[in-house]
Amino acid sequence: MALALDLRNLPDADVAALAKEGREPAFRELVRRYERPVFSLIFRMVRDRETAEDLAQDTFIKVLNNIDRYRPEFKLSSWLFKIANNVTIDHLRRRQLATVSLDGSPHAATAAEAQATSLDVESRGQSALEAIESRELGSAIELAIGKLRPEYRSCILLRHVEGRSYEEIAATLDLPLGTVKTYIHRARHELREALEDLRQ
Amino acid sequence: MERHLLPEEIDLLLDGEVGFGTPPLKAHVRSCAACSKELEGARALVRQLEHLPHIAPSPMFASRVLSRVQLFVPWHVALLDSVRGFIPQSRALRFATAGLFATIAIALTTASVWAWARLDAVMFTADFVLDRLRTAAFGAVATGLSALFGDAARPLLAGGVLGLATAALLLVVTAAAAAALIRVAAVRARGR
Repeated sequence: MALALDLRNLPDADVAALAKEGREPAFRELVRRYERPVFSLIFRMVRDRETAEDLAQDTFIKVLNNIDRYRPEFKLSSWLFKIANNVTIDHLRRRQLATVSLDGSPHAATAAEAQATSLDVESRGQSALEAIESRELGSAIELAIGKLRPEYRSCILLRHVEGRSYEEIAATLDLPLGTVKTYIHRARHELREALEDLRQ
Repeated sequence: MERHLLPEEIDLLLDGEVGFGTPPLKAHVRSCAACSKELEGARALVRQLEHLPHIAPSPMFASRVLSRVQLFVPWHVALLDSVRGFIPQSRALRFATAGLFATIAIALTTASVWAWARLDAVMFTADFVLDRLRTAAFGAVATGLSALFGDAARPLLAGGVLGLATAALLLVVTAAAAAALIRVAAVRARGR
C-alpha cells in the first residue's frame, strides 16, 4: 500500500523504471494514469465502446509487455498515444476493407468529396449499449468530431483534448510538422462547419 | 492592414503565437468586426474541445489488462528484494545489525592479517586438523558399515578411502536404477 501511495507522486519515467523491474504496482499505476486519456482517444476514434475497450486493452498490453524498450528521454505518454493511434488506425483500415464506409470514400481528398461519397442512414434501431454510447458521444461537438477523417480526428484530439504541442503530435503520429498543422487547421474548419450545420 | 485575416493567421492567434508578425494581426482584429467574429468563433470551438471530458473504460479494465501482461522480475532485482527482506524495519535494529556485521568484518580481517603473518603455523594446523577429521570420518563410516553388513564390509574397509568411494558410487548407481525402474513401472501402470 505504501508503495502504491508513493507511486502516485512519481513522474512517469520513474514509474516506468519500476515497471522495468517487474513491479506489479508500477504497471497498475501506469494503467491508472492513462486508461482514461487512451480510452477516450480510441473511443472518439472508433465510436464503439466495446471495440474501444479491446483496442485500449491491446494498447496497454503492447506497452507494458515492451516496457523494457521504453527510452526515458521520450515522454511515456507520447509513446503510449503513438501505440494507441497505430492500433486504432490499423483497426479502422481493417474495418474499411471489410465493410462499406458510411463516412465516404477513404480516397476522398477533401471533406466535400467525402460528403459526396458518404451514405446516409435514415434510422436504425438502438441497443441499450448504443444508447449509452450516443449519450457519451451525443453532444454536438462529439458528433462533429465523429464526422472528421480519422487522421484529422487524432490530431485535433491530441491537440485540444490532451493539450499536446504540434511537435509532440508530429512525433507521436510520425507525421511532418507541416502536415500536422494542416490537419489541425482543416479539422477546426470542418468542425466549425459541422457545428453550424448541426445548429441549423 | 487592408485585407481580412487569412485562415493561417487566425490559427496563429488561436495558438497564442507571440512572434514578430502577430502584433499587426492583433491590431487588425481589434479594428475589424468580421475578423474579430471569426477569431472569437474559433476560440469558442477550441474552448468546447478543451472541455471535452475523459471517458472511463469499464471498472475491470485495469485488471483485465494486467491479467494479460507478463510480469518478469530480473534476477538482480529479485536478489536485491531478498536481501532487503533481511533488513530490519526499525531504525534501532538496523543500526544494531550494522554494528554486529561491522564487528564480525573487523574480527575476520584481523584474523586474516594475523594468519597471513604466520602462514607456516596456519598451514601446519590446517593439515593437522584435516588429517584428524579424515580419520574420524573414515572411522565413523567403517563402524556404520561393519554394523550394517558385518564381515561382508571387511573387503571394502580394506580398500581404504578408495574402497569406500567405490562402494558409495555403486550404491548411488543402484538407487538411481531402482528409481528409474519404479518410475517406468508406474508410468506403464497409469497407461493401462
